[in-house]
Amino acid sequence: MKHFVWRWLAASSLLLACAGHAETRPQYGGTLHIAVHVAPATLDPTDVAQSDSFVGRSITPLIFDTLVNTDDAGRAQPALAASWQAAPGNTRWQFQIRRGVRFHDGTLLTADTAAVFLRIAHPSWKIGSDGYLLSIECDSPDFDLLGELSLPQNAIAKKNTDRSVGTGPFYIVDWLPGKKLTLAANEDYWGGRPFLDGIEIEMGKSFRDQMNALDLGRAELVEIVPEQMRQISQEGRQVVTSSPVELLALQFTRDAQTPEDKSLREALALSVDRASIRSVLLQGAGQPTAGILPNWMSGYAFVFSTDADLERARHVREQVRPIPNWTLGYDGRDPLERLLAERIALNAKDAGLSLQPVALQTASPAATDMRLTEITLASTDTWIALDQVAASVGIPLPSTKTRSVEDLYAAEQAMLATQKIIPLFHLPICYAAAPSLQHWNLRADGTLNLTNAWLGSGKP
Amino acid sequence: MMFRRKLLAVFALTVFFSVTAIALLVLALTRHAFETSENQRTAALVAQFQREFNRQGEDIARGVGAIASSEAVGRMATALSATGGDSAGYFDLAQSLAENHQLDFLELVNWRGIIISSAQWPAKFGYPVNGFENLAAANDQNAFLMQEELQDSTPLGVFAVKTSSAGEHPVYVIGGRRLDRTFLSAIDLPVGMRAMLYQNRGDHFSSDWLLDPAGVVDRTRPPEKFAALIEAVRQSHAEMTAKLQWSSDQADDELFRAIPLWGAGKGHTLLGILLIGSSQRSYVELKRHIRDSALLAGGSGVVLAILLSSWVAARVTRPVEQLALAAQAVASGDWNTRVEVDGDDEFSQLADSFNRMTTELLSQKERLVQTERVAAWRELARRLAHELKNPLFPLQLTVENLIRARMQSPQQFDEVFRESSQTLLAEIANLKAIIGRFSEFSKMPQPQLQPVNVNEILRGVAQLFQAQFTAPGREAIECRLELDETVGMIAADPELLHRALANLVLNAMDAMPNGGTLTLRSRRRDGRVIVEVADTGTGLTPEECERVFTPYYTSKQHGTGLGLAIVQSVVSDHGGKISVQSEAGRGTAFVIELPSNSEAMKGSANNDSSPRDQVSG
Repeated sequence: MKHFVWRWLAASSLLLACAGHAETRPQYGGTLHIAVHVAPATLDPTDVAQSDSFVGRSITPLIFDTLVNTDDAGRAQPALAASWQAAPGNTRWQFQIRRGVRFHDGTLLTADTAAVFLRIAHPSWKIGSDGYLLSIECDSPDFDLLGELSLPQNAIAKKNTDRSVGTGPFYIVDWLPGKKLTLAANEDYWGGRPFLDGIEIEMGKSFRDQMNALDLGRAELVEIVPEQMRQISQEGRQVVTSSPVELLALQFTRDAQTPEDKSLREALALSVDRASIRSVLLQGAGQPTAGILPNWMSGYAFVFSTDADLERARHVREQVRPIPNWTLGYDGRDPLERLLAERIALNAKDAGLSLQPVALQTASPAATDMRLTEITLASTDTWIALDQVAASVGIPLPSTKTRSVEDLYAAEQAMLATQKIIPLFHLPICYAAAPSLQHWNLRADGTLNLTNAWLGSGKP
Repeated sequence: MMFRRKLLAVFALTVFFSVTAIALLVLALTRHAFETSENQRTAALVAQFQREFNRQGEDIARGVGAIASSEAVGRMATALSATGGDSAGYFDLAQSLAENHQLDFLELVNWRGIIISSAQWPAKFGYPVNGFENLAAANDQNAFLMQEELQDSTPLGVFAVKTSSAGEHPVYVIGGRRLDRTFLSAIDLPVGMRAMLYQNRGDHFSSDWLLDPAGVVDRTRPPEKFAALIEAVRQSHAEMTAKLQWSSDQADDELFRAIPLWGAGKGHTLLGILLIGSSQRSYVELKRHIRDSALLAGGSGVVLAILLSSWVAARVTRPVEQLALAAQAVASGDWNTRVEVDGDDEFSQLADSFNRMTTELLSQKERLVQTERVAAWRELARRLAHELKNPLFPLQLTVENLIRARMQSPQQFDEVFRESSQTLLAEIANLKAIIGRFSEFSKMPQPQLQPVNVNEILRGVAQLFQAQFTAPGREAIECRLELDETVGMIAADPELLHRALANLVLNAMDAMPNGGTLTLRSRRRDGRVIVEVADTGTGLTPEECERVFTPYYTSKQHGTGLGLAIVQSVVSDHGGKISVQSEAGRGTAFVIELPSNSEAMKGSANNDSSPRDQVSG
């Protein structure tokens, strides 16, 4: 430890000496201030009931590590597992746990501690451990095990009495649920000590407050909604967006009961003028979609037509009598959702459908016939993403023998055929950053990568 | 009805009708005044509504004009021209502008009539604007009324249209404010009046479209009551007035005037109906107050009128009543009655005339009595002279014959003396008889009443004269008895009654020297017994009928004129009365009415029974 401190001081001195010459050189120190809209109640990565994916997507990687990571192309990359090997048939996997990794409480990570966590998270798996060798046996071939292990909910955490501790680059200093999270750099991080000394995340901030904080220098990184991206970019701020990973869709509360019901849902899907909505309400952000997976992930999403076809919508609607009075629930706190709901209702009216937008003050959409829903794709792995959407919407994912694109397309087609969900847009995750925040990036799945970020002076 | 009561009723009715007429007149005037006042108030309120509408319209037009000429809209118009109409970046501009200018509605519309930005319905971008035939022409109009379709409602609003010509193509700014409770609340309403607005939507009345500034649902005043009035205005498209009754209390009634509000946009349709209500409470309460006052005044007036009328009537009618009493007294025989004369009015003159009349009548009566008395004495003297002269003449002849016989033939004197003395004695006896009859008339006894059967007495009289009816030497008289056996008993003196009836029968026989029919009848009428003695003789003249009961009056050669006087005296002493009905040549009928004298009969019966009771006891 002492040796490390001396090395750190030397490197810092060197970097400080060079700071006046160029901002491209990383600088140690400083606390990064982040303001976000969400207000999570827990930081437990295993809590899959979290309504917002920000915790899993951006906070969990700061505190916890997974066995493997996936890159933007969905390929597995070593993390806590230095290497792995799959037996033929993909039913048995062996992982070599990285040596020398310690939890934030100083406990050494071994295959046993990882196995304890995984056994709790996946009771159906047969998990064995031997020193630093971890084995996982599945009942059936699991082609997506690596992708699944890269999910935030599979991050390795050690349950202590008061909170879970991880092995990530930062550890929790203070946590006020829903309000503020204070992190400090993990000096012993196995990937190297982060440049930042700490991170303070203010939660529950409105987008306007976030922008004010950014303008006033009280935050270096803030969330922005996609429809503000163009304006904020035009104002000269540094904006970073992910690939479109948030699925905005109409989700019906109940399954389609009759052919007439399906026809009406089809008419509604045909009536939505996605192009106008994207152009005006989303200010050009996002991608109109009629499929579940974005084109950049599946490669075939373009085959699902997103053009509004009012004539056909009316024709389909005219086959059905009487026309029900649908209610469309939306998050009353979200002005964009309100506009989207009203616009969709207008489009539906043009097709002869009756749709009444209803602001939902609670998260219970059961009282409405459908609701606007935003589903953040959990992984860049297509099958995992599709499975996650299916689980979220309540549609069983059709079983396939292979993991081919054809099977993926067929599965997605089958999901869409249930008429339980009408995909509208894929939206990116966007952040605006102060010029002082350097060397940070946003991965394709919207995950904030702050491990190597550092704070400079903000001057070019 | 007594004169005083009549006078009282006339006074009271006069006062009552006068008060009623005045009250009705006041009510009519009050109603007219209220209607005038209400019309004025309603007209003022309508004018105020119009002023408020115009003021709001001008304010809105100013605001919309300011927006149209604002830098933001100008920049947008320029940008739209430059970028070929890409309006996506301005879809939320209207909201901030509307907020800044305190407008409820604001839409920015491109030259094709497509909505660029809508404050009231942001999701409506890209849709054509509704309600306008020519947006450019609407720019020149004043503020107008229009229905704005929103997501969940269609409110009424006051709108204005202005144009921004900053770009190559015009951009229209359509702004407005809701015609809602706030707008209605801004109208300064007089006490007792209220204004409501009905939005004309749907085919039938719905309380959902009725806008009440109070905003509180009053269960006692259900909005459904407006349905008839609203429907009437919708049908007629003209102002209507109706009174709405909210309860059984008339004071709760409201008079509503419904004024149609027309849209200036496409179609010029009936968009709303302004309802201006005026409470009838003050009017009804005033009406009640007037009615109560009229009732109180009328009642008091009637009472006062009765009291006053009583006093006045008493004063007015007292002389009349005195006159009436005096007249009754005079009628009952009190000729000395006098009426007090007080004052110099018509009644006093009447009383004085009455007094003079009674005095004159009394004087005339006394003179008549005196005249009659003289006439009676003269008749008596004539009768006495006649009665006495008849026996005196034989006496004189007899005495002269005696003297002559004494002087001429003393030898025959004794025989003559004997014959003459017999004649003298006979004539003296005749004189005594005459004097006795007069004496007997003067000494008529008082009747001794006892139960008497009138029919029995009539039969007795008929029996008494039966032999004379058929006596030889004269024409026979048929005697008929027509007796009602139900007449019963009366209290009478049988001897006197028998004597009176016998006198009548004798008169009847004298009236039928050539025979005829004598009819004796009895019957009961009104509790009295009627006895009739009728003959078929020569009859009496009307003059004879008038004087037939006068003492010493007779139509016969040898009558004393006392027979019928005695009959009248007997009948009068029994409390009855006698009358005569006669027609010359056809006979005469004497009708006697006798009272039952039941009290006397009871007394008599008791007197009769007492001895028997004593005997039996």
